[in-house]
Amino acid sequence: MLIINCPYCGPRDQSEFSNGGEAHVKRPDGSKEIGDREWGEYVFIRANPKGLFYERWVHTHGCRKWFNCVRDTSTDEILVTYKLDEKKPNLNNFKSVVKTPSGEPEVGSGNFTVEK
Amino acid sequence: MKSINLKENQFIQFHQKISFKFDGVKYFGYKGDTIASALLRNNINLVGRSFKYHRPRGIYTCGIEEPNALVQIISEYSEPNTRATIKKIYEGMEIESQNRWPSLENDFGSINNLFSPIFTAGFYYKTFMGPHKKFWKNLYEPLIRRAAGLGKPPKDFKGISNHIHHNVDVTIIGGGLNGLLAAKSFINSNYDVLLIDFEEQLGGIINNSNKISLIDNKEPKDWLKETIQEIEGSKNIKILKNTLVTTYNYINHLIAIEDRFVGSKPIEGKVNSTLHKIRTGHTILCNGHIERFLSFQNNDLPGIMLSSSFEKYMCRYGLAPSKEPVIFSNNSNSNSLVYSLIKAGLKPKAYIDSRSGEEIEPNLFELIRKNDVPLYTNSQIKGAFGNKKIEKILVEDSSGALNEIKCDCLCLSGGINPDVHLFTQSKGLLDWDEKDLTYKPSKPFQPTITLGSASGQFNFDNLNSDINEKFKTFKVKKLDVKLELNTNTKYNIEKLWEVSPQKKSLWAKSFIDLQNDVTTKDIRQAITEGFDRIEHLKRYTTNSMGTDQGKISSINALGIVSDLLDKKVNEVGTTIYRPPYAPLSFSAIAGRNCYEFYDPERKSPIHSWHLKNGAIFEDVGQWKRPWYFQINKDESMHDAVQRESKNVRENAGILDGSTLGKIEIKGEDALEFMNLIYTNSFTKMKQGSARYALMLGEDGMVKDDGIICKISDQHFIATTTTGGAATVLGCMEEYAQTEWPNLKVFMNSITEQYATFNISGPKTREIMKKAFPNINFSNEWFPFMTFQFHEFNGVPIRILRASFTGELGYEIYIPSNSAPKIWDNIQSVGKEFGLAPYGTEAMHLLRAEKGYIIVGQDTDGSITPIDLGLSWMIGKSKKDFLGKRSLTRSDTIREDRKQLVGIIPSNKADKLEEGQHIILDKEIKSPVPMLGHITSCYYSSTLGHDFALAVIKNGHSMIGTKAYASTSSMSTTGVDIVKPVFYDEDNKRLIS
Ligand SMILES: [Zn+2]
Repeated sequence: MLIINCPYCGPRDQSEFSNGGEAHVKRPDGSKEIGDREWGEYVFIRANPKGLFYERWVHTHGCRKWFNCVRDTSTDEILVTYKLDEKKPNLNNFKSVVKTPSGEPEVGSGNFTVEK
Repeated sequence: MKSINLKENQFIQFHQKISFKFDGVKYFGYKGDTIASALLRNNINLVGRSFKYHRPRGIYTCGIEEPNALVQIISEYSEPNTRATIKKIYEGMEIESQNRWPSLENDFGSINNLFSPIFTAGFYYKTFMGPHKKFWKNLYEPLIRRAAGLGKPPKDFKGISNHIHHNVDVTIIGGGLNGLLAAKSFINSNYDVLLIDFEEQLGGIINNSNKISLIDNKEPKDWLKETIQEIEGSKNIKILKNTLVTTYNYINHLIAIEDRFVGSKPIEGKVNSTLHKIRTGHTILCNGHIERFLSFQNNDLPGIMLSSSFEKYMCRYGLAPSKEPVIFSNNSNSNSLVYSLIKAGLKPKAYIDSRSGEEIEPNLFELIRKNDVPLYTNSQIKGAFGNKKIEKILVEDSSGALNEIKCDCLCLSGGINPDVHLFTQSKGLLDWDEKDLTYKPSKPFQPTITLGSASGQFNFDNLNSDINEKFKTFKVKKLDVKLELNTNTKYNIEKLWEVSPQKKSLWAKSFIDLQNDVTTKDIRQAITEGFDRIEHLKRYTTNSMGTDQGKISSINALGIVSDLLDKKVNEVGTTIYRPPYAPLSFSAIAGRNCYEFYDPERKSPIHSWHLKNGAIFEDVGQWKRPWYFQINKDESMHDAVQRESKNVRENAGILDGSTLGKIEIKGEDALEFMNLIYTNSFTKMKQGSARYALMLGEDGMVKDDGIICKISDQHFIATTTTGGAATVLGCMEEYAQTEWPNLKVFMNSITEQYATFNISGPKTREIMKKAFPNINFSNEWFPFMTFQFHEFNGVPIRILRASFTGELGYEIYIPSNSAPKIWDNIQSVGKEFGLAPYGTEAMHLLRAEKGYIIVGQDTDGSITPIDLGLSWMIGKSKKDFLGKRSLTRSDTIREDRKQLVGIIPSNKADKLEEGQHIILDKEIKSPVPMLGHITSCYYSSTLGHDFALAVIKNGHSMIGTKAYASTSSMSTTGVDIVKPVFYDEDNKRLIS
């Protein structure tokens, strides 16, 4: 439920876009020998933090361009979008406002706790 | 309850009578009436039976918070659970009361009231889980199914809704005094503003009460008219009326529902309601407050109503539901009802206040004394009594003496709450106000501003300064509005949640949730049983879980719980208010994405021919593909498929393959790109030749297959599976942009631009010669896996010699517009050779006989090319391609991976079944080690028996051995594991 600012088209409804997972994951060069572990990490392992996250999106029902963004996964807010060949912004430039929406405990979710 | 019409009212057209039917009886109301106001005008107050106990219920409120007066609108597709207090009447409207049988007056289910001691808190859980499970099935469930509930679901629903999207700077929710002032601030500013009100008329409290006497020295009515005109004249402000905001999501995303047929019957085929999806920079909540009720014995009797609702009926509908109501209050909010009654020449029968004489507002005191209204201070109502309507009340006065008062109407006020539903949906935090005894918005989570009573300001003193302060972030002019009040008082309330009944009885009921029939006793019991956390308590008792979400009562429940637990309300907490604010019909959510628009249908250019020629279709993704062709109505699917496949093997068949994905790849680096995307190497491939190719995921698993035509090193055309077309194009684009942006390559879908005909069978060459006389189809000139461009009757066509059936075959690619004509031509020239169309089922059978896989049927995302025995397709000399490195991972080189094999029944007469397991033992004794399963299975009339493809562990080395296939009747069939080729293993027919 967001407006996403496509770096090529401008602000558009989220329903026009598709998510492409973590950004800035480099594909290992196929011409070099690499171990199972390193390759396996590229194929299978992605970060999934609560808070600020570099993420890839594609404007599927629009210009079909891929781009990167910084999204706060705890609020779903997209803080900045930028083209693939642009430098990634420093996360310190943004404050991850809320770690725990609505006063949830830091771990898990739920309501206010009531002291017995 | 005897109502009277008040004189002049600006909202009701007394000269325009409207007739409607309630439970089959005809009544009259006026234009502008809601169902509730029209029923009250006709002195009808029994409008429904309660959820569990079938107790008689009346009209409790005058708005969206109504818990009781829910009705079924027969004249609108039998729409159930419609709040009578909102829905406007129109000529010919038909309404029915709910949850009663055989009639509202004599309801059989009211016997539940006698059984009520067993329907206590946790009833459902106890009967589900307890030792009496048998009772549930045999007694309770049948009983409850018949007895409990609200309206009946509509049978034939055809309501149409549409969706409208908004993207604005500011959304103001609520067009009452504060909403209008907020909008006024934004007049002719640079902000795009949306002002939303749930009612037909803006004004809120100005229309609904007599609280305000003058605004800027003008009559409130006149000020309202002027202000609305100004706002309407401002280009940057859009007003949505009859629109209820139901949902406040993250990132200021709001959902609102607009009723397009207020006060008239929805026209069939027209949009009945509009769902507004709003994205806004700031949300300004001016959605006011809701009055709450009080709990005492029989506080659900028809004739009891909230005091502000009574006043709203007077001001907004020109109707006093009763000439002399009794008023019972613990706060100052009911002052204005007394004022309104007296102004209308009426008089309360008694005014009962739980507060002491000193606490009661002096103005009220004087008003009451001057008009000789019996006053009871420090007093409480112990109970209300009557048969299906209130007849008398029992008042305990300050001395402790009991007084009986006869009355036909009782107005209640238990205090007011800011309407915090939307604020909490937005994840804003609430704080308990110990003085005003309510939760008020404190910390917003999003750019949310609350104004007026929605922010918990129940007095009007800070009206200007509050708005000016909160609007500092906007570049708007400052407000300076002067307000004068009729009942010049500060909000004052005394704590009172519940009055205990005079006599203890199992049947005495003091309700805390009217809609769900939850009593204060249920709350007590739940706490005794250990459900003292508020969220547990809610679910155990079902308190505030009705369609009204306990709008008039949920805070009372918190008050009662906090008293019982001896805790502050803030410590008890509150349950989460979840969207939607009020019920939202599925049709509104679906919008136009239903019926024929639910999922678009894609049709090939030959579709109409298929329709005329007996095609039975199957859905492949969004495509309609001929599954098989029925030559007459009696032909079974099995017979048709065997006939079609036999004809391909003996004569020739034609398949409409237009749905296959087609992608054109062009650019300086197209060759390098194709080498990276597919497993095959295209470097040494000759121009004009084609190759069967595999595409892997980075995990090394087969994702798609197709035929690649190389026009030049800079130009390729790839086909994909029907279902995989969009994914393959998406994948190509992704890698071109993200991993290899240095490659100069472009790709585009040409699936719909070209129709594809697959003709195959031994007589195909004859047919092709006749259909395209200028083309040389000889084996030397047109060998297997080559393609040529030609022109036919001015139409550019491409012919590829390839086959998916194992027979000699050609694929013809034709611009879609010209395709039907050429299709017809081929049909007519092919007749003498026995050419017949075949569908996807025969195609599946034919390719399986040949051992060709279908990605997604014989593979499932866990199968590598090596597992399929297609190692020859891997360009091992290539440095890199998608998934290359994964093919040498320790897991992918395991020998016991599931591999593709052929299966035939050892006894040829036996049947095989798709999806069944391949096992080693004849006996099924658990645990059964499963080797794998049958992925494709057919009867072949060419072979004369069943055959199958399967993926089984270590399959390649098991070829030549015997095993068993399980059956759906829990037995086994002996099978031979064979090579996955059943027909023409040397490809003689293919290449000749
Ligand atoms: Zn774009």
